[in-house]
Amino acid sequence: MPVVNEHGERMKKFKNKGKDAAALRRQRVEVTIELRKTKKDEQILKRRNISLSLVEEAVSLGEDKRNEIIQLSLEEIVEAVNGSNTELQLQATQATRRMLSRQKDPPINQIIELGIIPRLVEFLTHADQAPLQFEAAWALTNIASGTSDHTKAVVEGGAIPAFISLLSSPHMHISEQSVWALGNIAGDGPLYRDALINCNVIPPLLALVSPETPIGFLRNITWTLSNLCRNKNPYPPLDAVKKMLPVLICLMQHEDKEIISDSCWAVSYLTDGSNDRIQIVVDTGILPRLVDLMACPELIVMTPALRAVGNVVTGTDEQTQAAIDAGVLTVLPRLLRHAKSTIQKEAAWTLSNIAAGPCQQIQQLIICGLLPPLVELLDKGDFKAQKEAVWAVANFTTGATVEQVVELIQSGVLKPLFNLLLAKDSKTILVILDTISNLFLAAEKLGETERLCLLVEELDGLEKIEALQTHDNNMVYRAALNIIEKYFSEENVDQQPGIGQDGLYDFSVEKQDFNF
Amino acid sequence: MELSDANLQTLTEYLKKTLDPDPAIRRPAEKFLESVEGSQNYPLLLLTLLEKSQENVIKVCASVTFKNYIKRNWRIVGILVEDEPNKICESDRIAIKANIVPLMLSSPEQIQKQLSDAISIIGREDFPQKWPDLLTEMVNRFQSGDFHVINGVLRTAHSLFKRYRHEFKSNELWTEIKLVLDAFALPLTNLFKATIELCSTHANDASALKVLFSSLILIAKLFYSLNFQDLPEFFEDNMETWMTNFHTLLTLDNKLLQTDDEEEAGLLELLKSQICDNAALYAQKYDEEFQPYLPRFVTAIWNLLVTTGQEVKYDLLVSNAIQFLASVCERPHYKHLFEDQNTLTSICEKVIVPNMEFRAADEEAFEDNSEEYIRRDLEGSDIDTRRRAACDLVRGLCKFFEGPVTGIFSGYVNSMLQEYAKNPSVNWKHKDAAIYLVTSLASKAQTQKHGITQANELVNLTEFFVNHIQPDLKSASVNEFPVLKADGIKYIMIFRNQVPKEQLLVSIPLLINHLQAESIVVHTYAAHALERLFTMRGTNNTTLITAAEMAPFVEVLLTSLFKALTLPGSSENEYIMKAIMRSFSLLQESIIPYIPSVITQLTQKLLAVSKNPSKPHFNHYMFESICLSIRITCKANPDAVGSFEEALFMVFTEILQNDVQEFIPYVFQVMSLLLEMHKNEIPSSYMALFPHLLQPVLWERTGNIPPLVRLLQAYLDRGANTIASAAADKIPGLLGVFQKLIASKANDHQGFYLLNSIIEHMPPESLDQYRKQIFILLFQRLQNSKTTKFIKSFLVFINLYCIKYGALALQEIFDTIQPKMFGMVLEKIIIPEIQKVSGQVEKKICAVGITKILTECPPMMDTEYTKLWTPLLQALIGLFELPEDDTIPDEEHFIDIEDTAGYQTAFSQLAFAGKKEHDPVGQMVNNPRIHLAQSLHKLSTACPGRVPSMLSTSLNAEALQYLQGYLQAASVTLL
Repeated sequence: MPVVNEHGERMKKFKNKGKDAAALRRQRVEVTIELRKTKKDEQILKRRNISLSLVEEAVSLGEDKRNEIIQLSLEEIVEAVNGSNTELQLQATQATRRMLSRQKDPPINQIIELGIIPRLVEFLTHADQAPLQFEAAWALTNIASGTSDHTKAVVEGGAIPAFISLLSSPHMHISEQSVWALGNIAGDGPLYRDALINCNVIPPLLALVSPETPIGFLRNITWTLSNLCRNKNPYPPLDAVKKMLPVLICLMQHEDKEIISDSCWAVSYLTDGSNDRIQIVVDTGILPRLVDLMACPELIVMTPALRAVGNVVTGTDEQTQAAIDAGVLTVLPRLLRHAKSTIQKEAAWTLSNIAAGPCQQIQQLIICGLLPPLVELLDKGDFKAQKEAVWAVANFTTGATVEQVVELIQSGVLKPLFNLLLAKDSKTILVILDTISNLFLAAEKLGETERLCLLVEELDGLEKIEALQTHDNNMVYRAALNIIEKYFSEENVDQQPGIGQDGLYDFSVEKQDFNF
Repeated sequence: MELSDANLQTLTEYLKKTLDPDPAIRRPAEKFLESVEGSQNYPLLLLTLLEKSQENVIKVCASVTFKNYIKRNWRIVGILVEDEPNKICESDRIAIKANIVPLMLSSPEQIQKQLSDAISIIGREDFPQKWPDLLTEMVNRFQSGDFHVINGVLRTAHSLFKRYRHEFKSNELWTEIKLVLDAFALPLTNLFKATIELCSTHANDASALKVLFSSLILIAKLFYSLNFQDLPEFFEDNMETWMTNFHTLLTLDNKLLQTDDEEEAGLLELLKSQICDNAALYAQKYDEEFQPYLPRFVTAIWNLLVTTGQEVKYDLLVSNAIQFLASVCERPHYKHLFEDQNTLTSICEKVIVPNMEFRAADEEAFEDNSEEYIRRDLEGSDIDTRRRAACDLVRGLCKFFEGPVTGIFSGYVNSMLQEYAKNPSVNWKHKDAAIYLVTSLASKAQTQKHGITQANELVNLTEFFVNHIQPDLKSASVNEFPVLKADGIKYIMIFRNQVPKEQLLVSIPLLINHLQAESIVVHTYAAHALERLFTMRGTNNTTLITAAEMAPFVEVLLTSLFKALTLPGSSENEYIMKAIMRSFSLLQESIIPYIPSVITQLTQKLLAVSKNPSKPHFNHYMFESICLSIRITCKANPDAVGSFEEALFMVFTEILQNDVQEFIPYVFQVMSLLLEMHKNEIPSSYMALFPHLLQPVLWERTGNIPPLVRLLQAYLDRGANTIASAAADKIPGLLGVFQKLIASKANDHQGFYLLNSIIEHMPPESLDQYRKQIFILLFQRLQNSKTTKFIKSFLVFINLYCIKYGALALQEIFDTIQPKMFGMVLEKIIIPEIQKVSGQVEKKICAVGITKILTECPPMMDTEYTKLWTPLLQALIGLFELPEDDTIPDEEHFIDIEDTAGYQTAFSQLAFAGKKEHDPVGQMVNNPRIHLAQSLHKLSTACPGRVPSMLSTSLNAEALQYLQGYLQAASVTLL
């Protein structure tokens, strides 16, 4: 969820005449505190390799199907793993892996407590025992898929270099399992991600990508690459990004939806940052493809593509223009009307950042017909999307020419905007009040203040603004009071007297009243 | 202070004294307490007293004193504020926090409330960081099973958490909420479930139920606060529990909880009302997650509405419940819940119609509290009423179902009208409801100024008007069925833009008739309706209803309006007075024959209300009407001004003598108007008053300043020569006023208005001896406390002076005050600041003045001032071409500026009400740019070669380009 800049900071920019468009753009800032459930449409950070059926497992292992599954107790496992009998080692490792692969409640903590991780890591180096290597890699993958503490246990067992060297294993299934394990480690956070990058994980990983790589394998690689691009504070090192980017761009051209999806996620992480990071992505010329993918009916593709483009338009005017040139404005109307509210919300956020641009870009937004869907969203969208739509309107009114503001008003924005003054969210209310002030500034320039006053009253805006004068939030109350005092106190034109310095009425006979 | 018995005793004595009615005893005691409150242990002594004192009154007094002490002192203002040191020492703070919760919970209710307030004040500062165990301490009490204790905890929690409803999202806030949720959400949920269970086990125990329902209300409020910022994970996971129980509570009824009181809402109503709010919160913000529950709530709330009575105590619940339905039915994906014809019919029949009925309470207000009734009905302060909520629901439903809803209601309207027709005197309320229904159905958009601006096309407003409204108003008795009369008049008022003009014209005599109705509401509405009709615009910016069309009614209208002011309860009715004003303004010269009688009645009224002015609107419109009488009459016959003076001066004198502060500023303005009507020299009657106008006591009152300045300006405009010849000894006093005004940052612009008039009108020689002092005063202000407003006025003034006395005179007087002063002012003030000047006339004055300095001031050409010549020209071009510089330095933002600086403010424009803005430059210069070009041309012919060379060496290219444009437009070239 995008987070808004400090209000004061924004207001400052807002009131300055030579406003700085970049300041209006709202970056996707990491929310450190969330009250909600973690979002379902985010990409998965860590994954466990779950055995769906024994048959499938057997096939993948190339084992004799008649082999019985051997049940071992935890004590037996410890003994066997630490012992020197290779047959028993394999059995025990396999049993461990099976426990960790079961659908429900894998006993990750218990396995860690057995203290066998260093031993499992050691097995990874037993190049002469491919089945043992594989079982150990799988087991470790699933341990690393747990909480941060679980991943930590694997990393501290020394798994990073071992897995990296297994990338070049002659056995494809071992190398694939290693890719997976590394993906889980990278997904834990910036610390392990950079630890991997420092251990030079990228060249051997990229070397696995070729036209012959099977799709399933390629999916794993793409996912791991995306985790290597993920997370901020700090961002991944620039040279690592530059190495991965060309391959990601290639992967984005693939026909497999999951591969496209994960490569889009990767690009969305890379664009989620400062303008120079955005620039690196823009320079690859990938924007037109991203915009195409935004229009893809598959949610798993559309979501990250939209996100990546949304991030790009938080950048400079030039970067935003590049996205516009790639056609983002022609796709957005559909997305603003998308059935899923999260897509509506992201699309509106993207639009709000384009609306924060110079008036030429605002003009393009108008030409591409963005106003009708924006107004619809404001009127009928889900609340989260409405909130973003309010920002879009606010930004629009800050940078637009008076003619563009007139166009906005004619598109019917006022009624739904005023309705949202009843929103149960102080920030949204304040942004709307600021927007109303902007509209009045434009009306003043056109000499249409009185007409706007009437519109505001007709559409029940006045009544709502008046009611906000008793709002508990101080800034909201002051903003409402300001508008009332400035435009509606004497403007109730029929010579409602104003209050003079002494609390009396100013005695002011206005001339139009006598010239009837 | 030690925690000793002696100190407790002393404190008890003083607390007792603070309750003494005699200020001589009370005040010193309060002072004493304040003087010792910085001592260590003082708060602990108070806590000891409120717990252990033998006397209940001391306990309560100590608790209040403690709460106020915390309120004043707990918050530590930043260390920068030295005069507000931390008065509560750390050990006291720790002790208070350690003891206050158990103390609060074990105290009787009266004291518990005070301590609960104190806890939330402390919590606001210290919670959570500096009071980490507060929550656990509170939550642990949920186990106590003692609902007196539990309610104390809940109340405190509510006052701690309710700020989540209005604060902006921030990491800090959300961290706190998360912490609260972690500690509080589960125990609160368990308490909620337990309390509900207890409610069923104690279903027959009234006193237990009361306590339990108080808890449920607080729990429901806490739910609202905790869910406000975002949907917390915990509540999403437990939505089933909460919503199912909320739903059950909505449908619950228990005879034991019903109250006899008709007005005050009972516990059950308060709880259900809060649940409606909670459901509305979820429906609005967390629609996706709440969707599965919503239909159940719609049904429950609707059933609730159908079964709830008409008593006032249910009003809040009913309007909340209807508003919930109104907000849901507008959402496209809930459309299906309402679209069934039977559903719509029963909503209309069972929810909307009953809540539109005119109730006994409304009837009472109509008769006994007409002012309140009018405010609610006419001015829309009806936000929380049932009628209003029902109206909103109609509009909500019309979004998708305008046709069917209109159809259903048409049937209702017809049957209600039939009911009425059967027996009007019994069934008149049915007609009232019918009219209200038509009104709410038809109005889609409405403003005060124009009434309804968008109407439902499916309703035939004119037909209804002709068939059902007009007959009532035509009835012979204006006093029969007053509510229906008021309804009818209101109908005309709000649908005035929809009803054709012929119908409005037919209505005018009917409205005039109703000015005589006994009911205050009816004659007030009649006056208001007439006033509104008279302000309607026709084509070509004229009024819709013309003076000619009103000709047959002038006499009866005026007579009726003034007669209405004599009806009981309306002697100071602002609507009637406003209608008088508006009638004058519409009828113009056709009122002249009635002026003698009108002005007599107005002066009598003025005399009467000046004894005790209480209705500011009424008074204002009365003075407006007086002004209009003067203006209209004198326009036709300027000599009539004398008769007005004759009629008014007596009352005015009395107002001035009795110092009726509210009216004095008005009196000055009417006098200004009268004085300006005189074409010749100022009459001696005015001159006699002149010295009194300069009395300092008048100028001490800020409200007098603008009208008095305006009046003095009128004196100067008409009588400058008389003042110079006959009252020369008063000139210092006049300038004294200027000096007084110029000293104030708030009033300096008024001082400049006065000074500008003095300079413009007074004969130059009469000012010779004061001239230098005037400038010195201005320079002093400039040096010591300049503000943007002052500089703007100053620039206008010196340029006006330059125009009037010449550029050379300006330079000379500056330089005699101090050598090189002129150059300094040019360089430091004029050149850098000129662009701040705003206003057409002001800019013109400055342009012409600067042009004179550039072209008619020899020292600018051949002294060291020459180096300023091009920069000054550049600044002048900037004044022409650059946008106004309206930056104001930060610290000036806080100066109390009542009036923006301008050459003539809105206030002094009154002097010329109906005239054009005063432009002292006038026709002398029409186009300042051309004027500059011509003046430069003249200068260049006087000293060939000099001007082009100065231009080419230092004027920037852009400015030069503009200048060439001016020269071209003036068809001159520089030599």
